[in-house]
Amino acid sequence: MLKRPSTRRRSTAPEIQLNLVPMLDALVTMISFLMFTMAFLSFTMIESPIPMVSSQENEAKLKEPPLQLTLTIKDSEVTLWSPFDHIQPVSIPNKPEGGIDLLKMHEALVGIKQKFPHENQIAFVPKGGTTYDDIVQILDSVRNFDKTDPPVAVLNEKTGVSEQAKQLFGDVIFANLLGGEE
Amino acid sequence: MASRSIRQRRGRHKIHKDFELQLTSMMDILVIILVFLLKSYSASTNSFATVRGIQLPISKTTEMTPDSLLLIVTPEAITFENQRIVEFVQTADSVGGTSPRYEFKAEDLDENGMRIAKLYDALNRARDKAELLRQKSPARDANGQPLPWDGIMAIQADKRVRYDTLRKIMYTAGAAQFKIFRLLAMRQPQS
Repeated sequence: MLKRPSTRRRSTAPEIQLNLVPMLDALVTMISFLMFTMAFLSFTMIESPIPMVSSQENEAKLKEPPLQLTLTIKDSEVTLWSPFDHIQPVSIPNKPEGGIDLLKMHEALVGIKQKFPHENQIAFVPKGGTTYDDIVQILDSVRNFDKTDPPVAVLNEKTGVSEQAKQLFGDVIFANLLGGEE
Repeated sequence: MASRSIRQRRGRHKIHKDFELQLTSMMDILVIILVFLLKSYSASTNSFATVRGIQLPISKTTEMTPDSLLLIVTPEAITFENQRIVEFVQTADSVGGTSPRYEFKAEDLDENGMRIAKLYDALNRARDKAELLRQKSPARDANGQPLPWDGIMAIQADKRVRYDTLRKIMYTAGAAQFKIFRLLAMRQPQS
């Protein structure tokens, strides 16, 4: 049986120690800078252009009147309608406990999108008492697809290939901004 | 009691010659913090800030928010580019933002109560300033003309603000030739 090797070491080389202090200084400076300059709040936005009044000449140039899907918020219901009667008006009553039934409204919008896949614009007519929170929730429901929604195919005119629509009705215009009903 | 000599006091706090502070673990922590900050830093591209007493709505939208002129509707007033422009009617309940009313004083409104006069002036000043900067800027379009003013305004409002207040603000901005509104909200955390 072999003898166990000795654990004793005889070394004359000096022990190397890395000087971490300058690196530590650099790290502390970088962390301070990053914490000072970074934004901890994560904002998002919903963009909406101001409505424009279209001239009669422009309207005459259109071969076919547009869908002009309109979402009107009323005291007890939400109505989806088209001023040119492209769709039957859909009324979605508020939930029994109060508040807009966003789920049913979204389902109705997906149904309309399937019929008019190229349509991206919606005119939004809130009432004066609608809160900003409600407006954001409604616009979220109007603009974005849910994961459970059926895919809507849109033909890309440039490539000639059908693609999945990325947004439901992404272009929202506050229709009663410059006047009109609330 | 006799006081100790200076030498005795110094000797008590004397650090041993071989003592070395172990910095490795601290380095590990700092590197982890640095990596986390660098990862988060890439997602923050705007310089928007919020103010105390304002509760922003939460949105599922994931669009980034480029910098633009910022209007904030606080329970006390409307501020535009960090300047207080119009103050709302204050009541005992509305002070401190417990139940804000967001009502304008009658003298602050014109055009049948739709336009906020002081805000209109402030927005016009901001537009003039932006147009002047565009004219002085070396950036030009294909015809050598200064780039047109984009007319974008970001609106940050408390989630309890009613549409009739927002409508007056947007109407006033429209009168001052602002064309696009960006309604700001907090991004919903990804599940």
